[in-house]
Amino acid sequence: MARGPIGIIANPASGKDIRRLVAHASVFDNQEKVNIIRRTVLGAVAAGCDEFLYLHDGHALVLNAIDGLDADATFTEVETPGTASALDSERAAARMREAGAAVIVTLGGDGTNRAVARGWEDAPLVAISTGTNNVFPRMVEGTVAGAAAGLVASGKLALADAARQCKLVRVEVEGERDDLALIDAVLLDEPFVGARAIWTTRVLRTMVLTRADPAAVGMSAVGGLLHTLTDADDGGLVVQVGPGGGTVVAPIAPGLFEPVPIAEVRSLAWGERVEVAGPGILALDGERERRLLRGQRAWLRVERSGPWVVDVARTMRLAACRGLFRFEAGGVDDAN
Amino acid sequence: MDISNDTLLDLHHRMVRIRLFEEEAGKLQESGKVPGALHLYVGEEAVAAGVMSHLSAEDQITSTHRGHGHLVAKGGDLRKMYAELYGRSTGYCKGKGGSMHISDLDLGMLGANGIVGAGPPIAIGAAFSNKYRGTDRVTICFFGDGASNEGTFHEAANMAALFKLPVVFVCENNGFGEFTSQARHQAIKDVADRAAGYGMPGIITDGMDVLAVYEAAGEAIARARRGAGPSLLECKTYRFFDHVGVRGMGVVYREDAEVLEWRKRDPITLFESRLEEMGLLTTEAAAQVRERILFEIREAIAFAEASPFPAEGALMEDIYTVRGAAR
Repeated sequence: MARGPIGIIANPASGKDIRRLVAHASVFDNQEKVNIIRRTVLGAVAAGCDEFLYLHDGHALVLNAIDGLDADATFTEVETPGTASALDSERAAARMREAGAAVIVTLGGDGTNRAVARGWEDAPLVAISTGTNNVFPRMVEGTVAGAAAGLVASGKLALADAARQCKLVRVEVEGERDDLALIDAVLLDEPFVGARAIWTTRVLRTMVLTRADPAAVGMSAVGGLLHTLTDADDGGLVVQVGPGGGTVVAPIAPGLFEPVPIAEVRSLAWGERVEVAGPGILALDGERERRLLRGQRAWLRVERSGPWVVDVARTMRLAACRGLFRFEAGGVDDAN
Repeated sequence: MDISNDTLLDLHHRMVRIRLFEEEAGKLQESGKVPGALHLYVGEEAVAAGVMSHLSAEDQITSTHRGHGHLVAKGGDLRKMYAELYGRSTGYCKGKGGSMHISDLDLGMLGANGIVGAGPPIAIGAAFSNKYRGTDRVTICFFGDGASNEGTFHEAANMAALFKLPVVFVCENNGFGEFTSQARHQAIKDVADRAAGYGMPGIITDGMDVLAVYEAAGEAIARARRGAGPSLLECKTYRFFDHVGVRGMGVVYREDAEVLEWRKRDPITLFESRLEEMGLLTTEAAAQVRERILFEIREAIAFAEASPFPAEGALMEDIYTVRGAAR
């Protein structure tokens, strides 16, 4: 019945960038991430999974979490380059795929999940938000998220019942390797990567969104307050920032509402390419990532080829309907 | 990020000036010309340069035992610095302080400090004074991962947040407290996590990327200047040389491979290649910058070597302040 182990990728660097200074983002300390991992593991074990793979990050979040934890399970480290960067998450995801992981639990923000998707594009994910202004991962209790992951990993629920495949932005950069974003790819009129996060509107130029969510914070909100687009909807949204079409006031970071001049908003069909050109920086999922030299082009398009994301609430409702946590009197011991 | 070409070149100049000052100081120590322990700043230049670029001489800093880089970046007089390393009477402390006690009140440098964690209380004292007098001056408190375990840091952080003082705590987290790796001296890896416990924001930035430091420090300093209170900026960095000197004391506590890995992210090399791409710097121009600074350094070393040692009678001078004579 077992489908495979659960992978755990926790990003120790999420929730600590400059948006705590320039906006009002919360600090996500690593001890809390350790606690969430503990609860996730215990939830997964309760749901019937006893095998875990993990990324050993420089902060030893998982090792700290399982140290002394009363859980009857095995934990295996996957090999990574140990760069203490997003590359570790990317490689860990690829290793977990090779090792037959049934699902990966991520702790981080949009950027963390983007790194995972770079390593395993259509990975089955339970994405727990521990980042700044996240659209992709959800604020969800680790206990329950772990249980949902455990139901999928143990084969009690089919992935297709628990999860749905997400969209992504395919990023082709002239003369360089391709890239992707899960929520937003934005051209910035900015020469430097600097402190990475986007926190000023002055530099925004062209954004391509897979989701335009008026209830989000960040680039997705800019689009969402103009034209709502969910992950379930077809295609994407293009927003050209500039004069000519009025202004939208949107929360670009926690607590930071800023006016953004809008030149154009339009829907983007599946596969339709949006061309942007340097000089500038391509920000992917909220972080300044790729530098475009003067005249260097990049093409952005939206596809439905991203991760399969487990809907934790729906999964637990299904589990309840099917009585997966319900046992006859005296039958609990047999269940495990 | 708003930054002019002049500022970009100035950041580069400050980093190279620190690097060359320290490399020469290391050679002088290893050849036995300079006595005592030198804790060299090589590898961490992006932090001092990125922070100091936002400060005027009115703004103050407190430094650490690894403090040369801070004063060089703040515009310290290289002649007086080398003279102090040489123990000569023309030095910053008249030759009686040495590497770990250099201060320059005219530049707002409130002192290096041989005691780990001694800086934070001094910094908040200065910050309190600045706030009390209604100035918009900012105080930067440099400290390390090791110092963040000292009571002084915790007391200062608490009071800074309580009184909303214009101070920025800049943690130069180089992964080691002297010879002890961070994993062996604290149960956390991000010193910035501690900020929340005192009621101030704490953020992390790449301490090998001068522009990342520049941007983050600029916001932290602006925040303090406008009265919004203290913050903690943790810069992840690395010391390329040993804890003491260049090759150090032969204590085995880290792998050569680790040092080599960090050297691949040399903050000066990284920044120079970026400036070259932007057309702001050529290999020749970078060599000229080095040559000009080396000329200044050689002149400063000659000045130091030609300077006299303190007179025997000066031993007890500047130890106590005579009542009424204080500035």
